[in-house]
Amino acid sequence: MSVINKMEGMSRNLKKAHKKLIGFPSYFKDWSTTFKGGVTLFCLLILFIFPIMTQNPYYLDIFVLAMIYSIFAASWDFLAGFTGQVSFGHAIFFGISGYYVSATLVFNNFSWWAALIVGVIIAVFVGFIIGIICLRMKGPYLALGTMTIGLMFMNLYRIGPFKKYLWGDEGITAVPALSTNAIVVYYTTLIFMIISIIIMLRITKTNMGTIFKSIRDDETGSGASGINTTKYKVIAFMISSLFAGLAGGFFVMYNRSVGPLIFQPYYSFIILIMTALGGIATISGSALGAFTFVLLTEALRDLKELDPTNVFLDAFSHPAFVFSILLILIIRFASEGILKSALEKLKDLWDVLLGR
Amino acid sequence: MVVEEIIIYGAVQGAVYALLALGYSLVYGVGGILNLAHGAYYLVGVYAFYIITDMQIGVVYGYWLGMVIALIGATSVGVVSYFLIIKPLKEFHISMLMGTFAIAFFCEQLAIVAVGPKYYTISTIFKDYVNIQLHYILIIIVASIIIINLVIIFIKKFEYIKVHYISIFIVSLISVILIVIFKEKPQIVRLSVHWIIIIITSSIIVTLTIIFINKSKIGKSIRAVSQDREAAMLMGINADRTLMYTIMISAFLAGIAAILYAPLDVVAPFKGWPVLTSAIAVVILGGMGSVPGSVIGAFIIGYARIATDYLIDPVYSSLVPVIIIILILIFRPQGLFGKKEIS
Repeated sequence: MSVINKMEGMSRNLKKAHKKLIGFPSYFKDWSTTFKGGVTLFCLLILFIFPIMTQNPYYLDIFVLAMIYSIFAASWDFLAGFTGQVSFGHAIFFGISGYYVSATLVFNNFSWWAALIVGVIIAVFVGFIIGIICLRMKGPYLALGTMTIGLMFMNLYRIGPFKKYLWGDEGITAVPALSTNAIVVYYTTLIFMIISIIIMLRITKTNMGTIFKSIRDDETGSGASGINTTKYKVIAFMISSLFAGLAGGFFVMYNRSVGPLIFQPYYSFIILIMTALGGIATISGSALGAFTFVLLTEALRDLKELDPTNVFLDAFSHPAFVFSILLILIIRFASEGILKSALEKLKDLWDVLLGR
Repeated sequence: MVVEEIIIYGAVQGAVYALLALGYSLVYGVGGILNLAHGAYYLVGVYAFYIITDMQIGVVYGYWLGMVIALIGATSVGVVSYFLIIKPLKEFHISMLMGTFAIAFFCEQLAIVAVGPKYYTISTIFKDYVNIQLHYILIIIVASIIIINLVIIFIKKFEYIKVHYISIFIVSLISVILIVIFKEKPQIVRLSVHWIIIIITSSIIVTLTIIFINKSKIGKSIRAVSQDREAAMLMGINADRTLMYTIMISAFLAGIAAILYAPLDVVAPFKGWPVLTSAIAVVILGGMGSVPGSVIGAFIIGYARIATDYLIDPVYSSLVPVIIIILILIFRPQGLFGKKEIS
């Protein structure tokens, strides 16, 4: 009896999949005419045609950095926004993957994708270990624990006695870039960014994503309803460290060198700003936040040249200073993010324009 | 020579950490918050001190004025952080953590923008050195520790004082052994007056703080709120106001640590982070919200760092607080003297 039920269920699933596949163009058309789909497609279109508009490697580099930070910020958002595990030491995964990607590239002559795989595997392993260590800590203690582990990694990689194994204070230099052609680098990073964000968004919509959200909202309750919270917290750590490691690998190939400062709290801090800008628990929002962050940083850097004698312009040409003020203001006054509410306003305008 | 230097430097470090950790522990006890802006209070104190002493208004006069301005600066940053972040966000633990983190980062960037990313030094006005027998110094250190404990015992009217009896016993035992050892072969140590001032000032301030917490009205409300927030509010204590006073005390103590320790250290923008990690390590080791625990933990971590500096390698000493934090969080989350929390 149960076998027949199972068969029926399978055939129903098959039918559903078939319908979805056949109906994909119409689904896509429906999706693209909604506000969310329209904005997403518009942004993707701009990203795809950007190298056609300008060949200047400076602008391409800015966009590549923004895309790398998008993956990194989205991985933090996945852990903090969907599982409720706030980590202040996300630079650990970023940095450890960066170190081993550059080591395999420089000393073992790996190609870039093989080096990335090595780096990501090591990042996932470290994420597994840290996930197990941090299981006993909750809320603020977890943030504190991960931050101190990050500082420990920085000191460990900096000090002299381990120089033979961990490359010491100066780290690894002369890391080969992903490709000598800036446009190839651009499109590779773009494709990796889109795939990572789609995967993370899909995971949050599967059953596992629902379990993550239940752990975020009520850990005791989800444990009482039979969910192995320990297992899923470690899994969330591993998924998040996978994408953080991917971002770290791209970052060292972009930066061409790696040193102990990659573990500094600065990198854990900037992804916090990006996610706060875009709105927490929206993975695509952190990508928007990353682009805003990087473009604003570049814009602020040139501010000093307008008037070198002006004290305020000099102060505001330090991007980190501006962003620390911005973060305080966002956390205090707009905890759901700036860009999310701005997009909602835009959506109202869109509805008015379409006469809905 | 190594043992003497470990004893003296460890006492100096422990005295500074005790000031930092005492305030941190009080804030945790009253508000239940992990205040990541604690390093920022220290940093603002150090930079205010540096700016005033650098202003060419007479060496001695500038030094004393700098001390006062540093204390005012640190305390006012504490008040600002309370009204800006801690009060509005006290229901949201993660947001508050991020907000205090942002304040710490803001103060670091402000130091870079206002003064510069370079390293500076403050030269102390207590430049004299005294030659002193080692066992006299030991007697000073031990006497101050025993006096603190006796004061606590008298304040608490001989109740709940197991920790203090134990610490008096242990300290006396160790000191008798050390004094006997060093009296056999008397050694003269050349000692900066500044270090002696640090040890004595710190023990006086810690004693005063403990008397304040136990005897004054504000102190009693601080203890009441940290024991049971709801019950204290039902008895008519303004818990928010009490938290503000506690943060002011904590920032004031951080400012005192800054004016005492800054002349021995470099003035650099990143200095808030090691101070924060050390304070957290001490408080986690001693037990969250436990006053005697934080003082004892401060001396344990101070001596551990200095012993690592001298016996193993200075490069590992920055790792000591971090390793202690992680080990304690994993194996004994309530710390040495903390009470077990039911969550």
